[in-house]
Amino acid sequence: MPTTQHTAVIETTGLARRFGSTDAVNGLSLRVPAGRCYGFFGRNGAGKTTTIKCLLNLLRPTSGTVRLFGMDPAREEVAVKSRIAYVPDQVAFYPWMTVRETLDYFASFRSHWNDATERGLLDQFRLDTRQKTSHLSKGQRTQLALITAICPEPELLVLDEPTSGLDPIVRREFIQTVIGAYQDGDPGHRTVFVSTHLISEFEGLIDEFTIIEEGRAVLTLAADEARERYQKIYARFAEAPAGLDLAGARVLRSGGREIELVTDGDAGPILDRLKAQSPEAISSESLSLEEIFVATLQPGGAAA
Amino acid sequence: MQFQLNFKSGKPVYLQLVDQVKAAAASGALRAGEPLPSIRPLAEQLRVNRNTIAKAYAELESQHVIETVAGKGCFLRETGTPFKKDARLKLLSSEIDDAVVQAHHLQVAKTDFLQLAEDRFDRFQLKRTRAGN
Repeated sequence: MPTTQHTAVIETTGLARRFGSTDAVNGLSLRVPAGRCYGFFGRNGAGKTTTIKCLLNLLRPTSGTVRLFGMDPAREEVAVKSRIAYVPDQVAFYPWMTVRETLDYFASFRSHWNDATERGLLDQFRLDTRQKTSHLSKGQRTQLALITAICPEPELLVLDEPTSGLDPIVRREFIQTVIGAYQDGDPGHRTVFVSTHLISEFEGLIDEFTIIEEGRAVLTLAADEARERYQKIYARFAEAPAGLDLAGARVLRSGGREIELVTDGDAGPILDRLKAQSPEAISSESLSLEEIFVATLQPGGAAA
Repeated sequence: MQFQLNFKSGKPVYLQLVDQVKAAAASGALRAGEPLPSIRPLAEQLRVNRNTIAKAYAELESQHVIETVAGKGCFLRETGTPFKKDARLKLLSSEIDDAVVQAHHLQVAKTDFLQLAEDRFDRFQLKRTRAGN
């Protein structure tokens, strides 16, 4: 079944997963259209990995539904899994296998494997195919995992905290590979779902995101729209303005003629109200996605 | 050509690319017939989603700034634009409105503003003449 624009690649409705008396995921609804690079942001323990395990049918949801390409991953496991690849945060391979044997092992499960991509990435990462996987560094193991995920050319690439614990050079290469080798193949059918708390390095890659806290979605926005709506504004007036309506903003600093504030999700009206007071100077800058993340989860702690 | 992205500017990233291509064309840094960078290497270099670059190029194409040649890439078009003059002026007036508002806030008078506009215009023309030689 081809993925049309109407069928989301990922769709969860009221997804919940309980461990004992703890609600790890608690009524999560997500919709990821085809071709997007979707960020899934949350603190440690917010429910990111549990959600991903429910998507991949590694955990059975307590309640709610999961659909990948419109299918139930528990009922149509092979049909779903043949179209996706997953890079977990802790990569494990059989330690006795070499890099070559590991790649052949992974390829044996796939109906399709792009050998040219494999050669290119082995070369780019300078991986020795004769090396035993037990002798690889953490960075090299992640690179090998990325090769095994990209070569089958899946329609959905799920990345769970892919760059945590890696050095900055390996991180950069990782992200470039996702942009280049993966996304370039067939852009309309290359969807990335990436969970991370290292948000700033994915800033340019993300076109839409959800922030999750205590198993619930607290904010879902397109990245460009988020940067437009969350702004830090500085204004200076000839005289301290009287009766300025600052609803929807958090004042960081306010002394006499000057004011500095952060808008809480709707910068437009506040900017208009400030400009209506004929300020001597006014400037604004967007919060980064990371600052928006902090502002959402810890009001008062952002952008100080 | 060289791109510089700023995630803090509040302007969508694809529009920053659109504006920078137009500015490069206006200043002569990019000349008619010259190619724009291919999507994949540019996306890797700027570390942005390839969709963002593709969206910028699609927007430039719909505005008839660039043209796509199948299998070869995107090229800057001759400056002839298919819009009628009043439509072109209308496109420009909203940008000028922003500058006029900003001038008001900065207490820059109309005569100074017009003088500045003329200076900036001449500067671009000079740059373009130099780039052409």
